[in-house]
Amino acid sequence: MSSNLVPIAEIPAPPKRRLLYHLENTSSEGKSERFLRAFAAVLHYGDYKTLLDAYSASSAKCSRCVVMCPLYQVTNDPQYIPCVRAGRLLDVYKRHFTVGGWLGSRVGARPSMTDDDVDEIADLFYRCTVCRRCSLECPMGLDHGLITRLGRYVLSMAGIAPKALQVSVREQLEGTTRNTSKVPTPALIDTLEFLGDELEGTVGAPLRFPIDQFDREYVFFCAVSDYLMEPDTLMGNAAVIHAAGDWENWTIGSGNFDGINYGLFYNDWHLERIVRRLLAEAHRLRGRKILIGECGHASRTAREFVPVFGGSEALPVVSFLEYTLEQLEKGKIQLDPDVVTERVTYHDPCNLARSGWLVEQPRQILRAFVKNFVEMEPHGRANYCCGGGGGLVSMNETQEFRMTVAGQVKADQIRRTGAQLVVAPCANCKKQLKELVAHHKIPCEVVGMHDLILRAINVPDGPSAKERQRRRAEPGAA
Amino acid sequence: MQSVVDFARGPLFAVAILVFVLGMARHVVLQVHGLITNKGRRLQRVSWLRMVRESLGWVFPVRHLVRGTVFISLTSFVFHVGALLVPLFYAGHVVLWRRFLGIGLPAVGRVAGDVLTLATCACCLFLLGFRAVVPRARQLSRFGDYLVLAMVFVSFATGFMAAHPRFNPLPWTGMYLVHILGAEVLLVAAPFTKLSHIVLFAFDRISLVHWQLRPGAGDRVAEALYGEEARV
Repeated sequence: MSSNLVPIAEIPAPPKRRLLYHLENTSSEGKSERFLRAFAAVLHYGDYKTLLDAYSASSAKCSRCVVMCPLYQVTNDPQYIPCVRAGRLLDVYKRHFTVGGWLGSRVGARPSMTDDDVDEIADLFYRCTVCRRCSLECPMGLDHGLITRLGRYVLSMAGIAPKALQVSVREQLEGTTRNTSKVPTPALIDTLEFLGDELEGTVGAPLRFPIDQFDREYVFFCAVSDYLMEPDTLMGNAAVIHAAGDWENWTIGSGNFDGINYGLFYNDWHLERIVRRLLAEAHRLRGRKILIGECGHASRTAREFVPVFGGSEALPVVSFLEYTLEQLEKGKIQLDPDVVTERVTYHDPCNLARSGWLVEQPRQILRAFVKNFVEMEPHGRANYCCGGGGGLVSMNETQEFRMTVAGQVKADQIRRTGAQLVVAPCANCKKQLKELVAHHKIPCEVVGMHDLILRAINVPDGPSAKERQRRRAEPGAA
Repeated sequence: MQSVVDFARGPLFAVAILVFVLGMARHVVLQVHGLITNKGRRLQRVSWLRMVRESLGWVFPVRHLVRGTVFISLTSFVFHVGALLVPLFYAGHVVLWRRFLGIGLPAVGRVAGDVLTLATCACCLFLLGFRAVVPRARQLSRFGDYLVLAMVFVSFATGFMAAHPRFNPLPWTGMYLVHILGAEVLLVAAPFTKLSHIVLFAFDRISLVHWQLRPGAGDRVAEALYGEEARV
């Protein structure tokens, strides 16, 4: 750079973009080359080209997606516009992987990708919770969830991925404990024994969780946090199965008991390997169906991707909500309608409701035993994301973002219902919503569906739900 | 001047229509080919009935009048009605399709044509104003978005004025030429701009198909990038 004859005022350099998450080992050299090489490999071995060709030529830029996005609603910041974010990746695709882009570059119309572009894409693509609310109202039908996931997939294959997610997946796929929370198998077995004893208070006798039993109808997987941090949900699951008389029909596999699949959020390679492991465990135990506990992404991953990656070896996947509703409709479980007197509202986890899969079913369950039920607005398929989707809830460094930006609309929604209980049948949503209501000082409790069922279920041989409620209210009760 | 007009109406139009049809066909063929060769049997697993039903719900999108999008939705709807009906079914154009493509389409009357054209022009102006004024629309618009809309407006406006010389202060031949050339520019540019949503909307609607990922792709990508010992 030539020296200046006239002193020029020091113009401060623009602030370096502060990324929302901590990175796992990246070198700063040649980021754009690594990104493009990863993109080329993904395009070559995968089948994303058709999607990208269609999307890059057909977005009408009508701005309907913008109206739907909760992050834009809170910030009015154009970085959150789904079409603009997708456009960053599509521009890279067009410039480097299409004839038209190459021609355009010859006349200087399209600049090639720089390292700063990679940083910006990395930041933008992780400021999306992949809730896909935008896709509901796109007149063309563009699914921005697919683009966000593709961008993250290419980034992670180029070596840029959030540390929290990478570490969990590494443990799940290559570690000794084979689950995202590093729970050793003996600890799991101890925990299940403890929970089985605890269940005596509900069902009248201690239950022995069926571990590694062969030839059962259901092989059960749930978010590993249900075993340790959210045991009420798991106990509710167990109580329902026991009351329905299906205790001999299910099992938990010690080889693989974690239904969590972070690959859904950011990497197709991990997604497939984790799904195959899940399926392999179900086959090892010669189970006939896969039963998924209360976790949004675990349920969706199993339901949508066991058929995709399992092919002819796929097993049917049943969500626990579907299972409980079936038992309720058959009259096999009794829920006391006078136990839950608080005002209750229901949060639709994106991975269960956005596609229309589980929208009415949880409400049918709730209406069976909750008298004071209010819906939040909007509810059902168009409900808002908790703010922790897309893996963000597992990244502690995004906490402020999740509380003040991503979850702001949700917090207002909950506050407006005046509910004292929010039912959220998803482990990630529960974590996020608990933090959210604490941060925004909303006076309500966040529970899973089966937590509530555990309070209200009447098992013939056990103490009644009312009796258990009375005991819980006693001073000095556990 | 007349020879220029004849050229624009004749050979040039033939070229424009050819580029349009071939360009759009290329989009469709590439998409269909891509879907069949890449997705193959996985296409069966998707609920086509559901996708068709959802698409039909967008033809008269009453359910999609989300708060904050009502104006743009109604305007866009009226715009598309005119933008589709007038070029295809207006009496002056029906002659063109019969001559150049051999298709016989029913002709819509003069008055209806006028109403639709004026409505479309008005909607174009509203949409341009929307794009320029409303912050979220401005933030995502690029130059091409304004240009395409402006070109559509020019074509429709000059077409109306060519059909009604009384309202036209400028020489008729010039207006007519601008109309023809403007439409031809749009036809030629269509496959290369977002106007290709005319055919591609169908392939966006079926995005559900693209969630049927290719098994084994991830392993091969990892191996290609990091070799046999690829680790997380």
